[in-house]
Amino acid sequence: MKILVCIKQVPDQESRPTVNQAKTWAGYDENASYWINRYDEHAVEEALRIREMIPKTVVDIVSLGPERVKSAIKRCIEMGADRGFHLYYDHDDYLSPSIKSRLIAEFCKNQEYDLILTGVMSEDMMSGQTGPMIAARLGVPSAASVIKLEINPEKQSIQVERELDSGHRCSMELLLPALVAVQSGINRPRYPSLSNVMRAKNTEITEIRGTVSTSAYEYETVERISEVGFNRTGIRLEGTPAEKAAALWQLLHEKFLL
Amino acid sequence: MNHSIMIMCEQSEGRILPVTYELIFCASLIADRYDSGITVVLPGNIAGADSISGADLLVINSPGLAEYTCEGWEKAALLAAEQIMPDIIIIAHTSTGYDYAPRVAALLEGGCITSVAGIEFIPDGIRYRRSGFHGKLDLLYKAGKPPLVITVLPGAFPANVQQAEPGTISYINAAIDPVFTSNLQFMIPDQSNTELEHAEVIIAAGKGIGKAENLQMIREMASCFSRSAIAGSRVACDNGWIEYNAQVGLTGKKVAPLLYVACGISGSMQHIVGMKDSKTVVSINRDPDVAIFRHSDICIVEELEKFIPEFIREAEKHTVKGKKQIPIY
Repeated sequence: MKILVCIKQVPDQESRPTVNQAKTWAGYDENASYWINRYDEHAVEEALRIREMIPKTVVDIVSLGPERVKSAIKRCIEMGADRGFHLYYDHDDYLSPSIKSRLIAEFCKNQEYDLILTGVMSEDMMSGQTGPMIAARLGVPSAASVIKLEINPEKQSIQVERELDSGHRCSMELLLPALVAVQSGINRPRYPSLSNVMRAKNTEITEIRGTVSTSAYEYETVERISEVGFNRTGIRLEGTPAEKAAALWQLLHEKFLL
Repeated sequence: MNHSIMIMCEQSEGRILPVTYELIFCASLIADRYDSGITVVLPGNIAGADSISGADLLVINSPGLAEYTCEGWEKAALLAAEQIMPDIIIIAHTSTGYDYAPRVAALLEGGCITSVAGIEFIPDGIRYRRSGFHGKLDLLYKAGKPPLVITVLPGAFPANVQQAEPGTISYINAAIDPVFTSNLQFMIPDQSNTELEHAEVIIAAGKGIGKAENLQMIREMASCFSRSAIAGSRVACDNGWIEYNAQVGLTGKKVAPLLYVACGISGSMQHIVGMKDSKTVVSINRDPDVAIFRHSDICIVEELEKFIPEFIREAEKHTVKGKKQIPIY
């Protein structure tokens, strides 16, 4: 079986984005730390578990972005993935998921993957578009928000359980090749083993540059970025932890909550 | 400027879900301004279609649309789009909406904006608002070449209740038959949590609590209040700190207590949807820029391990011996 896991490298949640001068996008300074999108890490783990069940399975990783995303790909190889592909794309403005999915689908075309796994969305932008769009462009079925999956090698299918609204679930069968976007909670991602860390040192990440021109498309754009408005009063309590605690108690007491 | 707007009706077991009326309200804001036509597409014969006013109806009849499949809904949307030629396609940001909406956008070669929280009008057109960068920033999007597919967050718009003229109703008989997908089973796991549903005070834990041991502190804080319960964000549940039946958010429960205390919760839109109707919101987080502060009445920038024990001490100071409030959880 040939599996591809699409991962995104995201900035640490506590890093502070700085809006650019044109107010059309935001970036991070050199102190920001980046990690693998949590949902995608679950997808990597799921791929590795399938490989443990089905012999001769190959797990590839692909990620789109600037030079720094190589470290995220390497981390996946340290977790146990076989090969890494870096679709080099350095941008400091909005890149539509329509374009991202186009580039990744283009990469997939001659690779004949049986299964493509992604996270259900990214932690930072939470669009959840790239996965289903890749599937649509490749003409394969997809399922989003999957919290359980099982491959049926004889039937060349995958059985998945999707999480629906208000805690309901449904199970369904998709014929392979297919794309599955996993929800967090599907598994506990493993830590890299020492042997895989050693192996990753000698595993080359294949870099792919500029396969598709992206300027020909007119997708949605981000026109303006601003601080999120306050929906409530947002009073900030000041002082030492003890002073803040006393102030909070007083405020809640006045509201008859304590 | 004239826009043609297509809405995909959100249904469950053959009934229209209320979020559909929110989508119609959203569309009517655009229609009122640009004199646009609105068509609501019903995949399959759905009961209650006569309750829809102020829009035309397009019913797509096909045996393959008896229940939701990504494939079936995608085909129904494409078929409807061929007839309606929409500039904007509005879909609910629900577990069905985000499953197929991006596919429809890709196949129509249109743009796509998911979890839209609002729309704005400026002289040269419509802008779509959603948050990004871990919910820290507001992003205003502009459509590219039509059609544009948007998914709208449930609760972002009021439900359309105004009685407008009923529109026309037309039918397409199609042979949509999902070939790659087959539904197996629909499950309703027991996720009831009466404590949480009846609680007047909810103390919610997020990723910021860091480890399971810190849950004790959250429980102790809850015990400072009467009729209190504990809850968690998605991450807190995924980490096994909090049961899934106490998860607050888009994929969990919607709560509206008198007091909601968010401890170490970042405040993604997915979480906010679940608690925004709370009367008073207090947030404790060490990150001064965290998104949840934008949705809070009282913000405390502090490490949880430092603040919560102080708060518990403070509350105990005011508690008359033997009269301590008894929590219901």
